Amino acid sequence: MTQKTRNQGVMYHIGCRRGDVGRYVLLPGDPARVPMIASYLDDAEEVAYNREYRTFTGTLLGEKVSVTSTGMGCPSTAIAVEELAKIGANTFIRVGTSGKMQDFMEPGDLVIAWAAIRDEYTSQQYEPLAFPAVADHDVTLALRQAARGSGLRHHVGICQSKDSFYGQHEPERMPVARHLQDRWSAWVQGGALASEMEASTIFVVSRVLGCRAGGIMIFGGTHNDLSNLLATAVAGVKLLIEWDNNDTG
Amino acid sequence: MNEEPLQYHINMRTGAVGRYVLLPGDPGRVPLIASFFDEAKEVTHNREHRTFTGMVDSVKVSVTSTGIGGPSTAIAVEELARIGADTFIRVGTSGLMQPDRMNNGDLVVVSGAVRDEGTASHYMPMAFPAVADLDVVDCLRLACAERGIGYHVGLSHSKDSFYGEVEPDRMPLADELKGRWRAWVQGGVLCSEMEAAALFVLSSVLGKRAGGIMVAVNAEHPGLENLCETAVYGLRKLIARDKEEKIS
Repeated sequence: MTQKTRNQGVMYHIGCRRGDVGRYVLLPGDPARVPMIASYLDDAEEVAYNREYRTFTGTLLGEKVSVTSTGMGCPSTAIAVEELAKIGANTFIRVGTSGKMQDFMEPGDLVIAWAAIRDEYTSQQYEPLAFPAVADHDVTLALRQAARGSGLRHHVGICQSKDSFYGQHEPERMPVARHLQDRWSAWVQGGALASEMEASTIFVVSRVLGCRAGGIMIFGGTHNDLSNLLATAVAGVKLLIEWDNNDTG
Repeated sequence: MNEEPLQYHINMRTGAVGRYVLLPGDPGRVPLIASFFDEAKEVTHNREHRTFTGMVDSVKVSVTSTGIGGPSTAIAVEELARIGADTFIRVGTSGLMQPDRMNNGDLVVVSGAVRDEGTASHYMPMAFPAVADLDVVDCLRLACAERGIGYHVGLSHSKDSFYGEVEPDRMPLADELKGRWRAWVQGGVLCSEMEAAALFVLSSVLGKRAGGIMVAVNAEHPGLENLCETAVYGLRKLIARDKEEKIS
């Protein structure tokens, strides 16, 4: 293959081209989790791995489904969503770990992100801060139904998407400590459930691109927790595929 | 005997309203919405806040007008929550923002709102999303689907200045107003109104549920019967769902 044909139509960062990914794409942060999620798909194969972007594509119910890692944070996530949408993806589901924000939450609880706090800057290069980071209702309902079916403890609500991991975990050593602590207590009082680093940009960018998005997170990171999360996320995608097929059929 | 004081603006105390409250803007529309309740009666009318209470499927429900804008809406919701309301559904008219894929008179089930207003910022930094409750959204959506009417689920734009939206050119901030409007349209926002954002943010802070259903208009006004009847039908579904979840 010549250099020219090899690069034709290949997206600059994710290294995929049209045909490489399905309409449905699961989005973990960590490239190492991509093969784990792909193991829940049928006939999954790795299609690309460039920088923090690793992609596997397989099928669910005969429909092509992909998994692409976003890397940590909204800047790299926006790039992944933009490039995936350019090659035909239109439904994005963030799958990841998160920190808990409410006392009633226990390790292993699932959080379905119905909306996100835009405590980050990437989405502000798309829409003013007044624009709400809200997930698609069908995606969210499918994830909730999957969570109910799993029998696991789960909550539906708001997550916080931040740009600084250590600003959340060690706010007192930051020059803007008081600002960080005040905002955190406001989010908690507003009922925010989980803190993570990508959902708000996925939701806002998806609105702008006319795509659908949702998210499911887990608090706690044991291997068992992660398997529960991934199985539930995949069950949600299956439900969504069924609903989408019924709508068009 | 020390009777509980009346709430300062809505002029009611505990017992006057149900757990479920529909929220139109206009006091003149309160009787129309109440006409879809059983045994509806006017409770009070003070300033822009007029309230009727009645029954839907043997459950006490109310309708209270908020007045126009986030400031008076926040007052109504704060005071209603203090006397026992925990589920709020805004019912109103709005400007249609996506003419390519919407028809005059389509209903919009509001899942989230653009916070282009000042009241919600007295509760939460702007980064916090104005988002509706998922069950309220789902019940309103199912009500629209069953009634076979044109509807959409998505975002509304909540503004503080009516004339800033409809006549931006004569405003000193014309360029900014028009630039932001374009951003909302490109973000897929369906309709423009003036109360949803404050209602949603405040409800999150109070730990209450909220949603909204709007008729979107860009030509001759289609009337409010369809909107009000669909809103009450959605409320009926929510009441049924709440009963079911309490039993299970």
